[in-house]
Amino acid sequence: MQKNKINKLIIAFSLGLTFLFSNCKRDISDDAIPATFPKNGTVYIDGFSPGLEYLPFGDSYFAAFSVDEETKYAGTSAMRFDVPNVGDPNGAYAGAIFPDYGGRDLSGFDALTFWAKATKKGTINEIGFGQDFRENKYLVTLNNLELTTNWRQYTIAIPDPAKLTREFGLFWYAEGPENDEGYTFWVDELKFEKLGTVAQPRPAIFDGVDGSITTFAGVVTPILGLTQTFNLGDGSDQTIRVAPAYFEFTSSNPSVATVDEQGVITAVSSGEAVITATLGGVDAKGSVKVTVTGNFVFAPTPTQDPADVISIFSDAYTNEPVDYYNGYWAPFQTTQGQNDINIGGDNIIGYTQLNFVGIQFLVDVPTINASSMTHFHVDIQPREEIQPGDFLTVRVVDVGPDNTFGTGDDTAGEITIGPPNLVNGQWYSLDVAFSDLAGLASRSNLAQIVFVSDATISSIYVDNIYFYDDGGGTGPMGPTTAAPTPTQSAANVISVFSDAYTNINSNLNPDWGQATQVSEVSIAGNNTLRYGGLNYQGLELDGSVDVSGMEFLHIDYWTANSSTLNAYLISTGPIETAKALTVPTSGWESVDIPLGDFSPVDLTDLIQFKFDGNGDIYLDNIYFYKTSGGGDVPTTAAPTPAQNAANVISMFSNAYTNVGVDTWRTDWSVAALEDIQIQGNDTKKYTALDFVGVETTGGNLINASSMTHFRVDIWTPNMTTFRIKLVDFGADGSFGGGDDTEHELVFDNPAQGQWVSYDIPLSDFTGLASTSHLAQLIFSGLPAGGGTLYVDNVYYYQ
Amino acid sequence: MRTPFFHKSYKSSKALILSLALVLLAVGCETDETQTVTTFTKLTFEDNFNTDGSIDESSWNYDLGDGTGNGLPAGWGNNELQYYTDRPENIKVEGGMLHITARQESFQGAAFTSARITTKGKIEQQYGRFEARIQLPWGQGIWPAFWLLGSNIDEVSWPQCGEIDIMEYRGQAPSTLVGTVHGPGYSGGQAVSKEYVLPADRFDTGFHIFGIEWGPEYINFYVDDVLYNQITPEDVPGEWVYDQPFYILLNLAVGGNFVGPPNANTVFPQTMLVDYVRVYEGAK
Repeated sequence: MQKNKINKLIIAFSLGLTFLFSNCKRDISDDAIPATFPKNGTVYIDGFSPGLEYLPFGDSYFAAFSVDEETKYAGTSAMRFDVPNVGDPNGAYAGAIFPDYGGRDLSGFDALTFWAKATKKGTINEIGFGQDFRENKYLVTLNNLELTTNWRQYTIAIPDPAKLTREFGLFWYAEGPENDEGYTFWVDELKFEKLGTVAQPRPAIFDGVDGSITTFAGVVTPILGLTQTFNLGDGSDQTIRVAPAYFEFTSSNPSVATVDEQGVITAVSSGEAVITATLGGVDAKGSVKVTVTGNFVFAPTPTQDPADVISIFSDAYTNEPVDYYNGYWAPFQTTQGQNDINIGGDNIIGYTQLNFVGIQFLVDVPTINASSMTHFHVDIQPREEIQPGDFLTVRVVDVGPDNTFGTGDDTAGEITIGPPNLVNGQWYSLDVAFSDLAGLASRSNLAQIVFVSDATISSIYVDNIYFYDDGGGTGPMGPTTAAPTPTQSAANVISVFSDAYTNINSNLNPDWGQATQVSEVSIAGNNTLRYGGLNYQGLELDGSVDVSGMEFLHIDYWTANSSTLNAYLISTGPIETAKALTVPTSGWESVDIPLGDFSPVDLTDLIQFKFDGNGDIYLDNIYFYKTSGGGDVPTTAAPTPAQNAANVISMFSNAYTNVGVDTWRTDWSVAALEDIQIQGNDTKKYTALDFVGVETTGGNLINASSMTHFRVDIWTPNMTTFRIKLVDFGADGSFGGGDDTEHELVFDNPAQGQWVSYDIPLSDFTGLASTSHLAQLIFSGLPAGGGTLYVDNVYYYQ
Repeated sequence: MRTPFFHKSYKSSKALILSLALVLLAVGCETDETQTVTTFTKLTFEDNFNTDGSIDESSWNYDLGDGTGNGLPAGWGNNELQYYTDRPENIKVEGGMLHITARQESFQGAAFTSARITTKGKIEQQYGRFEARIQLPWGQGIWPAFWLLGSNIDEVSWPQCGEIDIMEYRGQAPSTLVGTVHGPGYSGGQAVSKEYVLPADRFDTGFHIFGIEWGPEYINFYVDDVLYNQITPEDVPGEWVYDQPFYILLNLAVGGNFVGPPNANTVFPQTMLVDYVRVYEGAK
């Protein structure tokens, strides 16, 4: 017979509530003396030690704990714990914490010790200290402590006693039935001690494994597998699970990934960083190499009206309950992972080691009746390079009216996708009509969605799994109004796609292996380009087009569901530059992109457009234009010279090493000079120009006798005549003396508002008797005294 | 020749815990010593291991191999698992310490390597104080020792030559020291032995002084300032063979009958750190 007495039974009915902490935290001023707390290590000897409380877990069997004066190891009583049978309606397990909220200074101890026995061989699931229903900052857990039917003493080591200067959680445990049966165990002489034999600390993070993760900027990853291992006095090793606060964490490169005191890694920017840790000054085994690969591309946001959707997994809708997102089907399934990825608040399913995996809604939750739905949707992003032959089959399973598997009324339909639709790192949105899922005889008792790759694709992200009713429409909604009508004068426009202009010839849908569905749709009578399920999409111009005389690229676009969209111009090479467009849009969005933003694309040799990103995109009014007269200011740098530097004598160019020049504006000039930069390229800007002299005299005389050509790039918004004069000072190398010769070339109506390159054979300067002592270069033109002239790349070459 | 080491039982001998009664002046002791049980105070030999590099071969010899070179069955007659080498990976002097390191590596057919040195033919003495300051290694199957053998071993063989084990220890019992004598009629399993358990401490987390004070008709065993055993001729069930010179041995074995083999939890490498070895005789 047992005689039980309940002693100081304090049940926290508000379990799970976090106590407010701010009252406990105060800064210590310079003259303050830190408070000290009792160095009392006793927890339960023959009764509760001063300050000790008992707080069972909220869903546990509250009556599990009692004080037993009959069965005890020493003294007058022991702690008794009655573990309930499986499924006990009063709580199916025993578990509690024993805190002292006054706090104890345990820094002088190295272990919690106690004597224990049980009515049968029992294995306590979790037992330890540091749990206080507050921060659990210094939580320590020993798993699977085996008890015998005899009294034996047990030790749970303190990972780093120096941390425990004010510890609240003195003891805690959680234990369920053994083989469904409850039993009783006793704990006595429970106290913290300085054993002196807790030694050879071997802390570990990630369970001692040197691992690696690939993640995205902004994503947080907790460090798991935090343990401390000691060799105890009896020579045995003990490994305990310990809280992050015992560790000091370090990132090798905080600009790539940081790690906080809670052991949470935050990816910051692209690159690699290695996270390591120490505990009590001892290097922890294990590390993780964090590879940050830039920003995460989210799946397109679903646009279906929630009223028309039955969702399995999406942050955009209320999801139906499921049995699981990964059934871990034995014995052949290798697939790991489930709905355990959260990136910036977006929940994602990540499957790795994929061969097949199923999401089920059948056993513990209702099957789904999707008979009023018309389509199935899922977004899939491969996380690896896709090879020819790789595939992913998506299967939808209905278990029939009996709502059970394998009774003859089960049906299933499937669709297989692969390259080019599946591309590493890009979302593919699968929208499939139930009518296209051959074999699926009914969708009234849907129970599973299964993904099968046969290990051809091993790693994917999955998002936005839902059934929807498209209302008889053509899929996701599009714009109902036409894009704004352009207002630029046709004379200033080179149009690629617009009803407002005559378009240059182009191929709107070259086969680049992309998944995007390209169509031209009429919206409010306006022809509009639609990219459905964009991954990437090209647009090929008919040959090379020179748009260097234009200033801007105009695009009207509309998307409700894209989360990333880039526009590219491509010149031969290919040389391509992306311009990110803000998505999604609210209605039509119009952008006017300065063509300089696409540098270094050669605007004289444009061959293609490209768009990439995701979602459904509507495009219209894609054209290049210049403001009237070509504008007053060049927005692009002069073209980069192509001559080999060895064959060049350069006076002014960022492409070459320049020779000495006395001045780019002699004092006898009639013009103003300003040194400016265009897209980082040094440029001479002359205004109020009648004529300007550039001199290379004395030691700067240029001997261009081995050169064949003179080169200059000019850009003028207003000059109607442009002249170039070269002056050679002759053998005496100085002005006058009777041997000076010169020649001026005149160019009428130079193209305005664009860079014009002059490559002039020196032989054209027929009045120039010699090019061995070139001393002056003079630019002039009309309107006299009113010209604005930008000059770059002034050089001689052969 | 037989090996000195066999599995030992622990015959109860007269356990004299007389530390208080035997406190003497700590003359000649350095400040880091706590040993005060001294009656022999005239230093006759010391190696403080203060010169980095290999051991001083004017005092020490290497015992190499698996014992077969010494005429013993492989495993030094005890089924030990290590192969002794003179490589710096196994034995070196560094930072004021002798490092004897046991490694898990395939070497000459053995799974472990380590080292063993002796002063045979170089430092031999009858009676006196023999002590060493050592931090021990740890783990299942780790077996370090600091011990003496009778110098006439080649003439009379073991155990007739006598053996005094100043320090033996099992890595799996990190607080327990074993001190033993072997002689004719009481060797191996019948040796005269006593264990000492360090209170609230262990031998692998700090340095401890292991020593004997040995005179005519007694050998006192101590650790730090605790005398934990005295063995006299009345305690041995055979001939008292301890009235002749002995030499010193230091070694770190892996596995063997005394400790059993290492297991998956045994951490390698394991190093025995020896701060010094000193020998004293009575002040004349």
